[in-house]
Amino acid sequence: MIAAVFNSRGWYKFRRNPLSMVGLFLVALVVLMAVLAPLVAPYPQHAGAFVDFVNASQPPSWSNPFGTDLVGRDVLSRVIFGYQISLMLGVVVLGIAVPIGVGLGLAAGYFGGVVDYVIMRVVDVFLSIPPLVLAMAIMGFLEPTLTNGMMAVAAMWWPWYARLAYNMARSESREGYVLAAEVIGASTPHILIREILPNCLPAVFTKITLDLGFVILIASSLSFLGLGVQPPTPDLGSMVAEGARYLPDNWWMAVFPALAILVAVLGFNLLGDGLRDVMDTDR
Amino acid sequence: MGPSLLTSLIRRLWMSLLVLIGVSMLIFCIARVIPGDPARIALGPNATQEQVDLLRERLHLNDPLPVQYAEFVKESLQGDLGMSLYTNRPVVTDIGDFLPATLELVLFAGILMVAIGVPLGVLAARYRDGWVDNLVRLLSLAGVVTPTFVWAVFLMLGFAFFLEWFPVAGRLSEGVPPPPGITGLYTLDALLTGRFATFADAVTHIVLPATALAMTGIGQTARLTRASVAQAYDTPYVHMAEAYGYPEGRIASRYALRPAMIPTLTILGLDFAAMLGNAFLVEAVFAWPGLARYGVQAILHKDLNAIVGTVLVISAFFLIVNILVDLTVAWLNPRIRLENRRAAG
Amino acid sequence: MIDVKTSVSALALAGATALLPMAAGAQTTLRLDEVAVGELDPAKATDYADSILMFNAYDTLLLPTRGGGGMAPHLAESWAAAGTTFTFTLRDDVAFASGNPLTAADVVFSYDRLIALGQGFSHLFRDHVASVEATGDRTVVFTLNQPYAPFLAGLTRLQIVDSATVLANLEDGDFGDLGDYGQAFLSANAAGTGAYAVTAHNPQEETTFARNDGYFLPFDGAAPDVVRLRYGLEGATVRTLIARGEHDIASQWLPPEIVRGIAEGDGTQLLLESGTGGFYIKLNTQKPPLDDVHCRRALAYALDYASVLALVQVTDEVAQGQPANGPLPVGMLGSDPGLAYPGQDMDRAQQELEACAYAPGDHTLEISWIAEVPIEERFALLMQSNFQQLGFGTEVVRVPWALFTERATSVESTPHISQLFVNSTTPDPDALVYNMYHSTVAGTWQSVEWLQNDDVDRLLEAGRAELDQDARAAIYQELGALLVDLQPTIYAYETQSVFPASSRVTAPSLSDPAQSYLVNGMNFMFRHMSVE
Repeated sequence: MIAAVFNSRGWYKFRRNPLSMVGLFLVALVVLMAVLAPLVAPYPQHAGAFVDFVNASQPPSWSNPFGTDLVGRDVLSRVIFGYQISLMLGVVVLGIAVPIGVGLGLAAGYFGGVVDYVIMRVVDVFLSIPPLVLAMAIMGFLEPTLTNGMMAVAAMWWPWYARLAYNMARSESREGYVLAAEVIGASTPHILIREILPNCLPAVFTKITLDLGFVILIASSLSFLGLGVQPPTPDLGSMVAEGARYLPDNWWMAVFPALAILVAVLGFNLLGDGLRDVMDTDR
Repeated sequence: MGPSLLTSLIRRLWMSLLVLIGVSMLIFCIARVIPGDPARIALGPNATQEQVDLLRERLHLNDPLPVQYAEFVKESLQGDLGMSLYTNRPVVTDIGDFLPATLELVLFAGILMVAIGVPLGVLAARYRDGWVDNLVRLLSLAGVVTPTFVWAVFLMLGFAFFLEWFPVAGRLSEGVPPPPGITGLYTLDALLTGRFATFADAVTHIVLPATALAMTGIGQTARLTRASVAQAYDTPYVHMAEAYGYPEGRIASRYALRPAMIPTLTILGLDFAAMLGNAFLVEAVFAWPGLARYGVQAILHKDLNAIVGTVLVISAFFLIVNILVDLTVAWLNPRIRLENRRAAG
Repeated sequence: MIDVKTSVSALALAGATALLPMAAGAQTTLRLDEVAVGELDPAKATDYADSILMFNAYDTLLLPTRGGGGMAPHLAESWAAAGTTFTFTLRDDVAFASGNPLTAADVVFSYDRLIALGQGFSHLFRDHVASVEATGDRTVVFTLNQPYAPFLAGLTRLQIVDSATVLANLEDGDFGDLGDYGQAFLSANAAGTGAYAVTAHNPQEETTFARNDGYFLPFDGAAPDVVRLRYGLEGATVRTLIARGEHDIASQWLPPEIVRGIAEGDGTQLLLESGTGGFYIKLNTQKPPLDDVHCRRALAYALDYASVLALVQVTDEVAQGQPANGPLPVGMLGSDPGLAYPGQDMDRAQQELEACAYAPGDHTLEISWIAEVPIEERFALLMQSNFQQLGFGTEVVRVPWALFTERATSVESTPHISQLFVNSTTPDPDALVYNMYHSTVAGTWQSVEWLQNDDVDRLLEAGRAELDQDARAAIYQELGALLVDLQPTIYAYETQSVFPASSRVTAPSLSDPAQSYLVNGMNFMFRHMSVE
């Protein structure tokens, strides 16, 4: 199904929608900046332990287009390095949450009965605890490091995928092709992985591209609570949280990182919508 | 409500109870693994080890976890959720004080989400792929991608600091007495008792925080509605209605919107717990004395009883809201009603 | 109704001041805020917000002398000390908010309650006081176990409660006939003699007070009729409220940038409270490489003190700190103006480093900062860059307060470097240094140095036992010099709490050192404030 985008017809459809192209461009830009951060950032050393109190809290200028923060670090450089962390966060969190959620959801939807009952009640439990409370509790239990932060966000994310996969698997398992596979004696793993899963993937894949942005946001909410990435590592969410304290005087400290999050999330959303449109008509 | 619906409602309530028991066990364990000794934090900086030990004893913190849980279940069945170490008051009192404020906020945010998000979505779907669609899409994405707390700070600085259009903090202006407590929702109570000046004051206070809380939801609702309505516009019955020359408004509300409300409502219901959780950021900025902020303070102070109590109440509301959503969905969609009957039978 | 009340209070004041025409009907309101929720129960109060509540809703036997050392009469009109026995004679014109007159039995009840609950400031008395007895309606005798110099200063933390009112409001609890000892009642209501009566207490939102016009002392100037102490306001919120004239005094916990932003607005002023504590950079003296005094001194010489102070500079004239030269702030008994003020000196830092048994490159220093105090992140980054120059590896760690108190309980988990703001809870040096440095108290957040030094212990004990003020001052001076030499702590600066405020408030105790109390939070007695 990813191939659908890369065949010429899909690409043509994709390219025809200007918003999808904007999305692709933004995502490419963000990913490139993250990967090439040490080369692109004007002051790479400002991403780490660095203080320059003489140049602290300076408004945007030619030498610091996004201004400087409270200890004199270049905000633009930190935004560029911040993309590294934020993107990694999204990839890792979804990399953990999606397989767990989809796997459990498929199993519950296909097997039904006790399996369905137990798994979906657990999902309900997780969904009915406010996600931030859940993440904070887990972060509180573990030390507030980046790895643990990602685990915490993943723990609150998987139930949504379980829900999604569950609903899909439940309807798909009554479709003719699954019944046919059962009749010819295909093994259960075969039916789950080779027959049902591929039909759930377009929806899951679309949700992933939409969710990447939300994960970055959730991480920034954690940072607001002081539970996110450890300083001096730059993280977009923490930068906005820290900067929001100093509005309106040091407006650049919050506004530019917030715009940076906006650009990334907007990019992924537009790209996701574009991909979904292509796949929807492809099916 | 037919007998089948009643059966399914009872089944749902029973399952909700199971979920609530699961939540209580989970949060009971989670609350105890958050680092920090609750007794030490509660007693403050100058407490001696002896004092800490004494309080731990009094709070039964040295008992095995299952014993503590059994004790908790016994007491909570009698309506006692214990004392909060953070406010030094019974948790039940605290929740009674703070829950209405948050509910009012979430309720207003929910109204804003539907009242603004749904029409935007319908508009976008009606003029699909045109500039209206793209504009709505960009607007709603901007709403979705800006963190709630940033909305809160921006709205406050914009409309309270620079423009001074709205009040900054709290639920009522200084000198305005709260209306008699019937529901605890100041706007509703003021209306019920006919105090229209108080009602107006309460509404001006809730506009900014509710908007900040709703921004993400407005964007999401608009996008969901657009997708569902767009799908509905493609169905044969809408094409037929169009062919018959029915007025546009009637097509939109009768044929396109009604089925399209189902996924929107479902997501809104699932989002409820998240919104109650997110409310604390808004509550912190607008000094809104609500339950969400209480819950976060409870976690930061490792206030075990308050954490468990708050989460249980939020979960219970989440489950109730989702049952209500399902009932509404069933009412909107005859096919599900039939399926329920089959499942029940 | 209001008219009647005003004229009664005007009559009451007529004896002391000229009868002034009062603004008819208009109530004056003072609005201030604190970060933490205030605890209203006198047996549980500990922090700054609690102190504001206590010093207004309740009274104590004695008060510190305004603008100087020593204690002055308050609820007790006089006292006599004989060895370890202190006899207090109460005033006869004091009544509680309920109308009950103050008696010696109330003092005994308040003390017993504090000790029985075992929280709050009970540690100031528990191991030192043998008995408290009412020997007459207006006489109370405190008998100590042994000479204990900080005793009188500690009385500023023994709030006197209306025993009859509390006993009438008992609920079920662990204390036999005494039920819950009035915990439920006193956590929501005040039962004191204070100049301000609590009219409402919502721990999440605010505590409101009304002026007690039957108070036994006159009010200074135009003391506010109503006071609202709000809790947990965000910096941006406070700033907006003050700019709109809807708030009067902000808390001291705002970062310097926001304080500056508020101070630049029209009609604002900065109120100050100083001399009660300092910013302490605490070094774990039991963990290599900081178990070697030379390594500790090297760090103390390497710190850029000027930059630290520049970070807390609010305006050209006002900073949230001033240079410190030892453990005790200027003006406190035993502080030593003769001690040299430290400054950055990289050459001496290098010399000390060479004398140290450890090679800096072999060790990574863990520099912690408390997540709830964002300015500490900047100090941490500054230390990181200063100490890296000596060749130490460094790691900056953000620790939430709850986790920090947990980590402080063992040597291994205590970070190499911890940053703490500590204020004296009573006007006595013992309250500040004993809990930091005595070897028996190690393992709390205040004593993360884990200092084990016999000379320090001996001086701390001598300071408690010595009753002569001059001799005590000498002991604490000797202690200060010893501590600077041992360097368990880098004395970064003396804190000065800065409260941005509207200029419609006049608060002499927060602007004139000659009228201020050397107790944290006591300068927020509303009866000393005036509101336009």
